[in-house]
Amino acid sequence: MKKFLLLIFATLVSTGMLWAQQTVTGRVTDASDDSGLPGVNILEKGTTNGTVTDFDGNYTLSVSEGSTLVFSYVGYLTQEIPLGGRSTVDVQMAADVTQLSEVVVVGYGTQDKKEITSAVASVGTEEFNNGNITSPEQLLQGKVAGLSINSPGGDPNSGSTIRLRGLSTFGANAQPLIVIDGVIGASLDNVDPNDIETIDVLKDGSAAAIYGSRGSAGVILVTTKSGAGGSSEPTTSVDFNAFTTVDMVANTIPVLSANEFVAQGGENFGSNTDWVDELTRDAVSYTANLAIGGSNGIGTNYRASVNYRNNEGVAVNTGFERINTRLQLNQAALDNRLRLSVNFSFNELEQDNINNEAFRYAVIYNPTAPIYDDIEAPADGGYFQRNLFDFYNPVALANQQDFHTERRNELLNGRIEYDILDNLTLAVNYGRDMQRGWNGSYWSKFDLQFGAGGDGIARREDYDDLNQILTGTLNFNTELFDNLDMTILLGAETQKRESEGFGVQVRQFLFDDVGWDNLGFSSIRQGVNTDVYSYHSENVLNSAFVRANFNYDNTFFLSASVRGESYSGFGENEKTGYFPAVSAGVELTNLADLGVVSTLKVRASYGVTGQLPPDPYLALPLRGTGQRIDLDGDPLTTDDIYVGSQLNRNSNPTLKWETKSEIDIGVDYGFLDDLITGTIDFYRRDITDLLFPLTVPQGPNPFDPGGAQSIATTTWANIGDLTAGGFEFSMSVNGVNLGPVSWTPTVNFTLYDKTTIENFDVPGAPSLGFDELRIVGSAPGSPGQNNNPIIRNVVGETLGDMYGPVFQGIDENGNYVLSSTDPNEWGIIGNGLPEGEFGFSNTFVWKNWDLNFFLRGAFGHDLYNSYRGFYEPRDAASKTWNSVNTDKADARITGTPTFSSLYVEDATFVRLDNAQIGYILPLTSNVLKSFRVYVAAQNLFTITDYSGIDPEVRYRDSDNDDNTQASLSPGLERRGTYFTTRSFTFGVQIGLK
Amino acid sequence: MKTLYKIFILTIPLMIAAQACQEPEPEVFSDLYNDRVIETDDPTELAILAAGAYSNLAGTWGAHNSLWSMHEISSDEMAITQKGADWEDGGQWIRMHRHEWTPTEESINNGWNYVLGNIANVNNLLKSFGENEILNAELSTLRAMMYYWLIDVYGSVPIIEEDDETTGANVSRQEVFNFIESEVTAALPFLRQEATYATINYYVAQSLLAKLYLNAEVYTGTARWEDAAAAAQEVIDGGAYSLEPDFFANFVEQNQGSSENIFVINYDKDNAQGFNLPQMTLHYLSQETYRLQEQPWNGYSSLEEFYNSFDEDDDRRGSFLVGPQFSASGERLLDISAEANDPDGPPLTFTPEINMLAPNALRQAGARVGKWEFALGSPSSLSNDYPLFRYSDILLTRAEALWRINSGNSEAIDLVNMVRNRAGLDDVTSLNADFLLAERGREMFAEGTRRQDLIRFGEFGGTWWEKPASPEFRQLFPIPQAALDANTLLEQNQGY
Repeated sequence: MKKFLLLIFATLVSTGMLWAQQTVTGRVTDASDDSGLPGVNILEKGTTNGTVTDFDGNYTLSVSEGSTLVFSYVGYLTQEIPLGGRSTVDVQMAADVTQLSEVVVVGYGTQDKKEITSAVASVGTEEFNNGNITSPEQLLQGKVAGLSINSPGGDPNSGSTIRLRGLSTFGANAQPLIVIDGVIGASLDNVDPNDIETIDVLKDGSAAAIYGSRGSAGVILVTTKSGAGGSSEPTTSVDFNAFTTVDMVANTIPVLSANEFVAQGGENFGSNTDWVDELTRDAVSYTANLAIGGSNGIGTNYRASVNYRNNEGVAVNTGFERINTRLQLNQAALDNRLRLSVNFSFNELEQDNINNEAFRYAVIYNPTAPIYDDIEAPADGGYFQRNLFDFYNPVALANQQDFHTERRNELLNGRIEYDILDNLTLAVNYGRDMQRGWNGSYWSKFDLQFGAGGDGIARREDYDDLNQILTGTLNFNTELFDNLDMTILLGAETQKRESEGFGVQVRQFLFDDVGWDNLGFSSIRQGVNTDVYSYHSENVLNSAFVRANFNYDNTFFLSASVRGESYSGFGENEKTGYFPAVSAGVELTNLADLGVVSTLKVRASYGVTGQLPPDPYLALPLRGTGQRIDLDGDPLTTDDIYVGSQLNRNSNPTLKWETKSEIDIGVDYGFLDDLITGTIDFYRRDITDLLFPLTVPQGPNPFDPGGAQSIATTTWANIGDLTAGGFEFSMSVNGVNLGPVSWTPTVNFTLYDKTTIENFDVPGAPSLGFDELRIVGSAPGSPGQNNNPIIRNVVGETLGDMYGPVFQGIDENGNYVLSSTDPNEWGIIGNGLPEGEFGFSNTFVWKNWDLNFFLRGAFGHDLYNSYRGFYEPRDAASKTWNSVNTDKADARITGTPTFSSLYVEDATFVRLDNAQIGYILPLTSNVLKSFRVYVAAQNLFTITDYSGIDPEVRYRDSDNDDNTQASLSPGLERRGTYFTTRSFTFGVQIGLK
Repeated sequence: MKTLYKIFILTIPLMIAAQACQEPEPEVFSDLYNDRVIETDDPTELAILAAGAYSNLAGTWGAHNSLWSMHEISSDEMAITQKGADWEDGGQWIRMHRHEWTPTEESINNGWNYVLGNIANVNNLLKSFGENEILNAELSTLRAMMYYWLIDVYGSVPIIEEDDETTGANVSRQEVFNFIESEVTAALPFLRQEATYATINYYVAQSLLAKLYLNAEVYTGTARWEDAAAAAQEVIDGGAYSLEPDFFANFVEQNQGSSENIFVINYDKDNAQGFNLPQMTLHYLSQETYRLQEQPWNGYSSLEEFYNSFDEDDDRRGSFLVGPQFSASGERLLDISAEANDPDGPPLTFTPEINMLAPNALRQAGARVGKWEFALGSPSSLSNDYPLFRYSDILLTRAEALWRINSGNSEAIDLVNMVRNRAGLDDVTSLNADFLLAERGREMFAEGTRRQDLIRFGEFGGTWWEKPASPEFRQLFPIPQAALDANTLLEQNQGY
């Protein structure tokens, strides 16, 4: 802090001391059209003396005689011009084309963008989303064609669902593999968005194949910011960012007013309560980030950062507080032949959550009920409650149930690189991702929904996960003969994951105050609504890989790789898998003059990737805990009670990885000296050997031919085939001059050929194959709609189709007229997966002002609106629960709520996802590098015909705990959806030298 | 020197490569390998595992959506009415009531999995206890009891024994019958001739035979009335069991002292959970009557006609909960959500009459199952043990068998009167089919025997409230579709 004050003091002093000996004037123009360039930085070399150009590109600066001026502007080549006695210096700035052919991070290294022959997208700082971005994936939302990042609703604690090129798996992990600075499978929780330099997305099979059996869902490579390198002089830079965000409820579900509710026969408790208003608030969040980076000029550079976030949710008692610290240190030695780097981050998170059912009750709870019922004794909070079916005061629910999470992440990555020869580099990398945390839950003695039955119930769960990875690579490059360069990568890797934890749930508390912090205050620790467990698992993945890249005259490119992997979780008959890839491309502009076409690279690739079983023990016949066995049958004598065991699942020695093979044909193009650039990709993917928990009935079955042993009804097996395809398009115009304003539009869109189910065959057990999979958990739910699953996956059809009766009208009694009540006669009435998605970002720069806004949307997807599906009909229950009254509601329906096409809505939407206006204060001094203030807004508006909470695509069913089922049930908006929010952010960014 | 150094450097990747090229073996910490358990020869472990054969029975008989639901809802004892949206559940309980079920019903699949899973468990134990004649006899009889459940519900099923490598084709109902009979008969000499609690003994085996023979005509086409009467007499002669003076002593929370319960599933709210009757039958508000830990589901109730088959003086009428309902502290319960057309209005009142089966049955309608005591503060799972064989059932079994042989048999009348007198009712002087069926109904309500009795008396295909006449093939449930899919050798029952 003292140093910081000194710096500020120095700034003040230095701004007053200028050695003005000569005045230089001039105009800076754009080389392409001679228009004036505003906001160009001009600096007297070797000093801190400088200025920026005005609206027309003119400038005036006092400098020492004989000095050199440095002209710099984002997106343009920096120029150094010695004065040479002149007093007028006009400069033409040329666009920096090399910046567009930047280096792209690929698996185990980087590659020049021009050499890339597979589908890889790279997103840098300037393209990231704006506003209160709390997690790394939000930076990318909508920015990369084919990459869907969804976080429906406004829960500050909910993670995102990430899908690359649609849904391509269900039993296995459907989220792309995350690699942070080379640590494979690290958690995104390790990184604060502020610390990210670039995110690269390996989209196609050939790019991801170097990650073998974990690459099928795509790979996202996160590169964190590092200290300035390469400078021969000592440098230091300090960046400070801070912002405040206000969130407010953007969208909820319209219901009847208290008067309307009573008028339709609702029970009148005499009050008038807006329950949504009572559950929510305008939430205020704070974020601050400080980063210091630098270099000593002789081989050491570093960057250290601290990020603090305190986020409130719009629902009471929700929010989080997080601190992220990160240190990166690089050291070169032996004339830069030996390079060491260490990257360490430590993060701590505290979260508070409520039971999401509070949102449902806030919508449908009786609007004439008061919050408090003063007849009740105050010890229970005094809340109004009635012991009715499915009827809980939402404010009581949010206050009398308490869910808390604390988590610590440590990510350590150490790397040594040594140039054995000039063209042969050895690298050894050790990465270690540790995550520890605990969850506490408490249901008060007075919580009508659950806690009261147990007289206060507390739960605490601790977990400890460790992922260690050791990699050795050899990188060799040579020119085989004239103009033919070859690069060979050889690697070996071993990765071990350990997972441990335990949990306890106890009940019956005299004092309602302590909860999970002292479980000893409970009196009942065994039996119903109590729990004790612990677990410990380990798995090892060993791999070897080789990749060769060829570049002929920067015109023809070829890349081929193969990775072999052995996993401890594969069945004993299937221990090792091989994942090959090949890709090639040709830069046509090097072969012929194509006029305005400045870049035209045509490429094609093929790659095979895999997906691991979701648990390392699925192939084995293991027994978990079973029934309690009481030898004498008398529960009062406890010295003869033991816990038996039961088979978790049938063994499957042929269990192996899921396989995806993908063909991608793409074009990278540029026009007008790459003023306009973009990419087009077509892809086709075939997925086989899907990992799936087959339901196998008791008794003889192909996994237990004798039928004498099996007590398990599940066997994990590789079944079925899927195909999917798509078309991706992106285009950027790198600075269009609209008079004094520079405009950079970027557009991307994806058209999906949605995933089709080819078959659900079971190799080796043909009798277990099936044609249709009804997802039991996709039923609307309680009350009364538990047994009519919405989602069916039918061979030959699209994954995740919704089946149901078609709504045809209303009869004179107010009952539905439906096409059929027989589930076997239902047809497809929707699909939750989108036909396409798009993003459109715009950046405008005018003098020191910058404005950008980003529109994003998805089209052709449906959502089941569960609020309407349960609470729109004015049936008998609408006396108890408030009626949902969207513009689609028809008050004539008085029949029992029944699922039909009436409640499946097209959820196509366009959203102004974020917008930001910034201003760079025209200040320069020898300490202050930049000072920018900005205002940002998120979710300013959404255009959609959907009448639920959030038209965002639902790739997963949020109500289903079974991962496979959840993945197979897209398009269901459940009643527990957190209300969406609109947020406004004010921030400052200060850079110090 | 420099070369040496480079060679040294190069050994690092080689070391990693050496590690990386191994096929890693799974290391297990939290679970046990199957062989570790089923091949154990530790006598202490074995003894406890043998007892575990009984623990695994918990889960279905008193639980929703499995065997018990199939027995009860398909009979004229009980229904699950659809109360608006509540309990619509895809129409499965309406279909079950009207005998329109399909092979894909969840309950039918759950019932199958429950029984076959337990058979597999016993088979595993039999591998270990093959040498021990007494344990072998006990476990074989337990397995035979499960085949008795299967023959009754699914009919023709595969027989899977401990060392069997069978592929699992079904065998005829006659063969299943023969298997049960021979297994139990062979075990009899080794079984303990004394009252044991919740385990197999000689009298449990004889009770099993008595019930098997009683239904032999249904199962095989050949009546075995004499054998049924003889097996029941074995139980009576043994003297190990007797009628409890108080009918409800058999159903209280701590009913392990009952002299009448011959074989029970030994439920315990902590150690053996699964008997969730309060959830299944009670109204949401009944939570306050019994201070239940969880809100009940308001599902099962009895049919009015069945309720009315009980005399007003019949002690056993206490098997139902009817009339006004109160909180534990004596306040009248108010269901403010009561339907407008509910004649009783909000004050919670269980009425025997039910306005309709679906779609808008009144929430308060229907007599509830109150046969088992609901202890104050109960969790969703009860501690009351669930009788599978009860002494009065054996008395009525012998009575019926004797009556079938000779409708004027006086011993049969005496046996029935023993049961009636205990319920506070007067003697009868003659027996007929309708009376016997009704008496069994009153005595055995909610104990999962009604469907079997209706079939034996030829009434199962008849009509009752909200239930049309049903074809004969409905006397058996279908083999679940999932089992057929998994095992192509299985054949579906006729009619499905």
